[in-house]
Amino acid sequence: MNTVPERFVVPIGPQHPALKEPGHFEFTVDGEQVTAASVRLGYAHRGIEKATEGRNWVQNLYLLERICGICSHIHATAYCLGVEKLAGVTAPPRAQAIRVVVAELERIHSHLLWLGVAAHEAGFDTLFMYSWRDRETVMDILEALTGNRVNYSANLLGGVKFDMTPELQDMILKGLEFLEQRTHDYVAVVTTDATLLQRTRGVGVTSREQVEELGLIGPTARASGALRDLRVESPYAAYADFPIVPVTATEGDLEARFVVRLKELFESYRLIRLILEKLPEGELQARMPRKIKPAETISRVEAPRGELFYFIKSNGTDQPERIKVRTPTLCNLASVCILAVGSQLADVPMILAGVDPCFSCNDRAVSIHSTKLGEKQWTWAQLRQYGIDYYRR
Amino acid sequence: MDTIRDLVTLFFFPGGLFVLALGMSYEWVDRKLMARVQNRVGPRWFQPFADIAKLLTKEEVIPLDGNGLLFLGLPIVALAGALTSALYVPVAGWHPAYSFQGDLIVALYLLSLLTLCTGLAGANTSDHFSLVGATRTLTQLFSYEAPFLLAMLGPAVMAHTWQINEIIADADGRWMLFLQPIGFIVALIGLLGKLEMSPFNAPEAETEIVAGALTEYSGRGLALFRLGRHVELVIGLTMVAAFYMGGVNGLPMFVLKTLILLLGLVGIQSLVARLRIDQTVGLWWRWGSLLVLAQWLVLVVWEGVQA
Repeated sequence: MNTVPERFVVPIGPQHPALKEPGHFEFTVDGEQVTAASVRLGYAHRGIEKATEGRNWVQNLYLLERICGICSHIHATAYCLGVEKLAGVTAPPRAQAIRVVVAELERIHSHLLWLGVAAHEAGFDTLFMYSWRDRETVMDILEALTGNRVNYSANLLGGVKFDMTPELQDMILKGLEFLEQRTHDYVAVVTTDATLLQRTRGVGVTSREQVEELGLIGPTARASGALRDLRVESPYAAYADFPIVPVTATEGDLEARFVVRLKELFESYRLIRLILEKLPEGELQARMPRKIKPAETISRVEAPRGELFYFIKSNGTDQPERIKVRTPTLCNLASVCILAVGSQLADVPMILAGVDPCFSCNDRAVSIHSTKLGEKQWTWAQLRQYGIDYYRR
Repeated sequence: MDTIRDLVTLFFFPGGLFVLALGMSYEWVDRKLMARVQNRVGPRWFQPFADIAKLLTKEEVIPLDGNGLLFLGLPIVALAGALTSALYVPVAGWHPAYSFQGDLIVALYLLSLLTLCTGLAGANTSDHFSLVGATRTLTQLFSYEAPFLLAMLGPAVMAHTWQINEIIADADGRWMLFLQPIGFIVALIGLLGKLEMSPFNAPEAETEIVAGALTEYSGRGLALFRLGRHVELVIGLTMVAAFYMGGVNGLPMFVLKTLILLLGLVGIQSLVARLRIDQTVGLWWRWGSLLVLAQWLVLVVWEGVQA
């Protein structure tokens, strides 16, 4: 006779319709109420950080861009800015401005994508279809600019690869006009649609204190009234010359996250128009040395999901000694486990989507889960030895 | 001669194959309209047929935990229930194949059998998605069932009979939709709940519990459950159209009225987000039941005045 009720765990992932990427969440539920939550990551670990140590500075640019399929440009920008700082080179103003234009276009594409995913989690497929249809506009712009829809490769060490021709500018402005009008519609939908509000208003409320406690960043933090935006706090590239007005909200619920992300779109439209109007003249690329003397630096940029952090260490050769990447999802994911407890099971996918998780960006740490070996952290040498022994057997 | 007539009725028209084909066609209309509203292309006309044909040829995986006999039997009972109820309603504007006093109640409960079987099918496995889905399916059944039933009984009260045949004869040409607007709205939204369509698709919310109660089903079982759902769509539309939209005399009227009704359903489905199960229950018991009871009060008083 077991009087202690059995734990009823609803597993979400590694493969699950709510997740577009592999991650594993275990939600213990009592009826529809979530009583405990745990997260396990690492399914999309690709060893990119280690791989950078065997490639030269230029090759790494293209490798690091492939960390994330959505915010590829911002990874390359963080890396370029860091390496340029190490080499003592500054990219020309025109190149910096073009970097910002592409970064903001990427933010538009990322936020529209998120809008669709979040709407789908709420079971509002019509909004999902429409927002993804409109996202094609900005994808077309990015393709016309760079030749690619996903990994744009707009950056070069010391500059950018392409110039902004008048035809391209016309195309961007035309696209933005359409998108701006559509974004007004979306703001109206997420702030007035009764059924969607039932699923977002007052759900997953994150207080200002929790933002500090959990170290949340990006739009997730801004929706709780915390001004965390590197474009304002420590302007990089052309953000010092073309400042943005940060968007914040105070409610901290899912509705606020919808509103903050959508209003950021207006800010992006404004900034892109401003830059195109006052695009600095000049070179597109500064000359970069092939080898970089031993030094280390930190490069921080504002990705669509929050602060993206790069630590780069050089050793005097044409290859980096160490590159460490911390993506915004890692900082925000902890909040899912905290917020999920006590909420309804039906709200969990919404809360999860609310931080705009991006797992494949995230999976870089190695921790060993094995009943045989016990749970512990390994050094790189131990892990390597384990791998060799495993396959020798 | 009677035996042949009965067999034809059961297996070909208006029951059996005809209802199945009609159900799949209406499913296609639903999907296509939904897709067009959402700015998608949508499936081609034979897609539901192809889906079912494909599922029927697939291997059926029977989970080890749970009763295998029940696992195989429930889809058959569910589809049989839906098909049987088709015999008592004016499918395609035809007279109901069989009729007796009180067949309205029988038909409505035969339709609920499908939902009940879905719930039991989910509870018959140890899969956690299925169990949560089964709980939600049954919870939802208890929330919409009573208001929906009361809404369907409204026209019956006016016709002074519980025989579908006679209700339709009474409702023919009388647009009950204007006499009992609340009943019509509750019946229409109840139909969405019965068919587990958005916003009442929490029992099969794919982003939470994959496919809900039917997660473990594949192959034939899934095909039969889906066929049951398709048939239920047609019967539900037929009943609401016959009771509330001035009857369905003849095939053109039937097609026209049910399609208009379906267009309404698609409109509601595409405009709303999914409700949580607690919100669904709240909606039905706080609003649905109260509204339909208010309608009943008016009806009873009116009948009293008339008598």
